[in-house]
Amino acid sequence: MDPKNPETKDLEYQALGEVFEVPIGPIHPALKEPIRLTFRVRGERIVGVEIRAGFVHRGIEFMGMRQGRNLIQVLYLAERICGICSISHPIALTQAVERAAGIEVPPRAQYIRVIISELERIHSHLLWAGVAAHELGFDTLLHLTWRVREKVLDILEELTGNRINYAIPIFGGVRRDITPEQYPKVWEALRYYRGLLEQLLDAFLHDPTVEARTRGVGILEPKEAEELCAVGPTARASGLRKDVRQDRPYLAYSDFQVKAITPADYGLTPMGDVYDKIVVRLLEVGQSLEIIEKALENMPEGEITSFPKIPALLAHLKKAEGEGLGWHEAPRGEVIHYIRLVAGEEAPLVWKVKAPTYSNLLSWRPMFEDQEIADIPIIAACIDPCICCNDRFYIVEGSREKIVAKEELLRLSWEKTRKISAHHRGEHGGAG
Amino acid sequence: MKASQVLSALSTALGEKLKNYELRPREVGVRQKWTVEEIWAEVSRDAIPEAVATLKSLGPLHISVISGHDAGEEIELLYHLAVGFGTEGGEVMVTLRTRVPKSDPAVPSICGILPGAETTEREKIEFLGVDFPGIPRKDHVFLPDDFPGHPWRRDEPELGKYLHYMVEWEKDDGSKES
Repeated sequence: MDPKNPETKDLEYQALGEVFEVPIGPIHPALKEPIRLTFRVRGERIVGVEIRAGFVHRGIEFMGMRQGRNLIQVLYLAERICGICSISHPIALTQAVERAAGIEVPPRAQYIRVIISELERIHSHLLWAGVAAHELGFDTLLHLTWRVREKVLDILEELTGNRINYAIPIFGGVRRDITPEQYPKVWEALRYYRGLLEQLLDAFLHDPTVEARTRGVGILEPKEAEELCAVGPTARASGLRKDVRQDRPYLAYSDFQVKAITPADYGLTPMGDVYDKIVVRLLEVGQSLEIIEKALENMPEGEITSFPKIPALLAHLKKAEGEGLGWHEAPRGEVIHYIRLVAGEEAPLVWKVKAPTYSNLLSWRPMFEDQEIADIPIIAACIDPCICCNDRFYIVEGSREKIVAKEELLRLSWEKTRKISAHHRGEHGGAG
Repeated sequence: MKASQVLSALSTALGEKLKNYELRPREVGVRQKWTVEEIWAEVSRDAIPEAVATLKSLGPLHISVISGHDAGEEIELLYHLAVGFGTEGGEVMVTLRTRVPKSDPAVPSICGILPGAETTEREKIEFLGVDFPGIPRKDHVFLPDDFPGHPWRRDEPELGKYLHYMVEWEKDDGSKES
């Protein structure tokens, strides 16, 4: 039978029996963050999927536009959209505001933004590789990957003071310079990863278990990826040369001549399956190392911000009138922020955030189609979904959905803390 | 792809329906300077599908997002599209601006031309109350189905208070809950 022919496919499905619905999520061991995927299955075969997001949407855009926050406060909010992309959103937002308010960014600051972004990509891709190994039931590889990931987090902590939420970009520049004593530490980390990359590629790509679980699983055809506007490694694994750093350069990225990576760069014909997504992400770790090396070698001297005094910056922003777009290739794909400023107002009139997972949600549909139930966790994970980038808040109570305000959440968490401390004090019949 | 190429294709296809347009070039790069051009154009709402189809005929088309805003009597929508990915510096960002009256807030859906626009159109249905005739499904993406109103509208003061209560937890005098 021809599997591409819809009629024979339908007959095949019918032979498998009745259609059942299998809900996965919002809270489920297979998912790292809350989302609800309702699968229609015949036997073990998936015949359709319904995707419902929104379980951790916090109304961040509303909080930025309507609650009287000034732009610097909005910047800190943007940083908290996502822990893993915690420099991607500030980079997109600062560029949008700099466009709207006509602010220049000194060359050295652009280089520092690029370096921190690429370090973030390394830590994010290694985080994902570990999660993927875990979803495949290969926890040894998870622990290996996450152990080597610590090094890049240490460097980020050295340069910014934090493992995540770096607070580096500010409108007009960056908040911290890279000092002469820090250079050798960064170089040392780069050498460490250079030495590891081959090992990682070998551990993931030449392992029969990984190959068996990922080859031909969760395929996204190039045509589908293009039509559904997939972004990041999800699109590139299908063979699309789509990377914002290459297509619409920004900051200092044109200095590094970034080329979008596809599995073809590893000598493979892109299939768009989970295996290809591993290939692309691991190769991109190497690409990021290269960009950071070039950036360190060619680092321009000079100021790191065009507004060293925050009150002057705030005053300038308050007078600014205009609109602007800022974009960035985050580890998961294109992040874009639109902002509109009105003179005399501290808060932006319009702020729209688009995270990569928002663009990749639709790609899940063809990826799940005709797959096995047992492959749901790895296919769900393969776009590297970042639900917190994407979302809002409500709970499901029985079959009824209701919204929970922050106040109620706090009350519940206090209640729980009280219960736990009471338990520890032995008020519940003593520790047994 | 060049922005001028995209602009001339748009003006040939749309004629009068392309109202205002401007090129906003941005200089990027430190040692390797590059000019990235952006097109910002205003079109009437009926011309949106035609404009998107024209862009699609020029090269691979990507929709980043549709942003929107409550402008009093009207709702303003901005379609942020990018045409021509795949070459270094070869993608042109095109923002199409359109306005719809609140009395009839509808724009023809572009999902038939660009299926990837579904999520962002659906988001505008729930957040701004704009309808997109022709969209394959209208379910909410983010908000519960029975959510009272459209959060980005500024003409619903009661909803504004409710949202304030949902996202902030300070008391009215600014003090924190104890």
